[in-house]
Amino acid sequence: MAVTPAVEEEVTAPKKRLSFKFPLAETELGLIAGIIAALITIFTGLPAVIKAVGMLLAFVWCTDSVRKTSKYGLGTGVPSIGVMAAGYGIVGALMGLAFARYGNVGQFFPGVLIGVLFMGGIGLVSGYFGNNEKYIAMKIPRLERAMGELGMAGTLAILLECSIVTGSLRFDAVVTQVMNTGVIAFMFILSGMAMFHPYNACLGPDERRERTLMVSIEISGLISIILGFTMVVLGTSPLGLWDPIALIVFGFIVWFVFYRRYIRACMKECYATVGTGLIKTIG
Amino acid sequence: MTIEPGMIWIVLCVVSGGLLASLGAHLLPVGGEPAAMGTATGIATGTVMIMMGAVMTGLFTASTVSTFSNNIWLISLSGAVGATIMIDVVMLMANILYAFGCGVVPISGRVAVDPITKAPQTPFKTPQTDGHGVPDVVFISGTLGGFAGGFGGALMYFALLAYAHFSYGTAAIAAVSIFVANAILAAYNIRGTTEGLYDPKFKRLPKALAASLAVSVLAAIVVVLATIALGEV
Repeated sequence: MAVTPAVEEEVTAPKKRLSFKFPLAETELGLIAGIIAALITIFTGLPAVIKAVGMLLAFVWCTDSVRKTSKYGLGTGVPSIGVMAAGYGIVGALMGLAFARYGNVGQFFPGVLIGVLFMGGIGLVSGYFGNNEKYIAMKIPRLERAMGELGMAGTLAILLECSIVTGSLRFDAVVTQVMNTGVIAFMFILSGMAMFHPYNACLGPDERRERTLMVSIEISGLISIILGFTMVVLGTSPLGLWDPIALIVFGFIVWFVFYRRYIRACMKECYATVGTGLIKTIG
Repeated sequence: MTIEPGMIWIVLCVVSGGLLASLGAHLLPVGGEPAAMGTATGIATGTVMIMMGAVMTGLFTASTVSTFSNNIWLISLSGAVGATIMIDVVMLMANILYAFGCGVVPISGRVAVDPITKAPQTPFKTPQTDGHGVPDVVFISGTLGGFAGGFGGALMYFALLAYAHFSYGTAAIAAVSIFVANAILAAYNIRGTTEGLYDPKFKRLPKALAASLAVSVLAAIVVVLATIALGEV
């Protein structure tokens, strides 16, 4: 039972922090990340690297939602809400893919957003039941909104991952290349990991939003590397071999930069460290 | 557009699967962090992990059976048996580790005398703890929970496979996703540790069932809409 103490919003820093500041507040981040990710989702002809940027934004949005919900203490640990978001994402992605052929012109699939909106609605309903006194009574402020955001961001992330692997959003293509090959299983658990792991790893009284979001970006880089190798093995990229190789290089750069930054931030902001040698030399 | 009997079956199977998932999550012995230190009854992890492990094993057996059978009862029961075996093995191994590794006996913290075997519980309990391991009464409750959860998961899988005409992989992952959403709402209702059937928290079950009903009806509508959208090719 992981009960986290309620943390004050953005405590003033007594120590000198690293210069990396995330410039956007929670609502702005949600709006901007959601709109950009949705735009990248419906244009499936884009290169995989740009889709990976959209996926990264969706994961950052999701992590932010998990963070603002979980700091009040869920009672069952942070992972539960991330797995829930990934589950919503898969159901919403299935619905979106089923509606993908409505309004489809070439590589442009606006129909998938029906799944995103519907999942936002289901998230709102489950948030209402979770928060209402008559039902589960979790008493978390703004749980409804956070769950709706989780449903939408999870759906966008899963849709973008399917779009990266298959290069389109046709239901048949996704079923043969993502579902029947079993790629969906690691998408499910790694997307959940990108959503719940950052706050699960960073929670505590000295948790800082920028530092938590860095972990999310770092995991997105790792997912990009794995998706790139999946594309090479399945040979599904419509743009040739340079597309997955660019994705692997992008993922590696993102992972390396943000892992370094994260370790540096941790080393600088902690009271003291006793290094075993390995990580300290990298930082 | 006409409403076909297959769609009604999808709604019925998904809703009953979601309700069974909620019931199963309430019956499992969830220990959480206190159980990891041997100071509470149950398996030392969260509800979601236990329930997902059980239902995934159930889906493995159910999908194996579904390759050669079309019978809804056979597939659902095979899923239930798979999940039950999984959860029983986990509880047995937890008991072996607690007894021979930590040196504590499996004892319930909620009941003074075991309601089934009539064995006394309180004299063996370490003071200021909440019980240890997985005692008989909790073991039986956990077995029931695994059975209910596995049955629900396999029922959803069958509905998605046979009535919505999804492929094996799609049906399995969609069933796990809907199951997980329901099990997590139940986990939020439990909040931390539970002993299953004889725990006071079990009385909160109707609240989780109401929430689970709403979410599974919506999820069933999603599946039905997806089936309609795919069927009009």
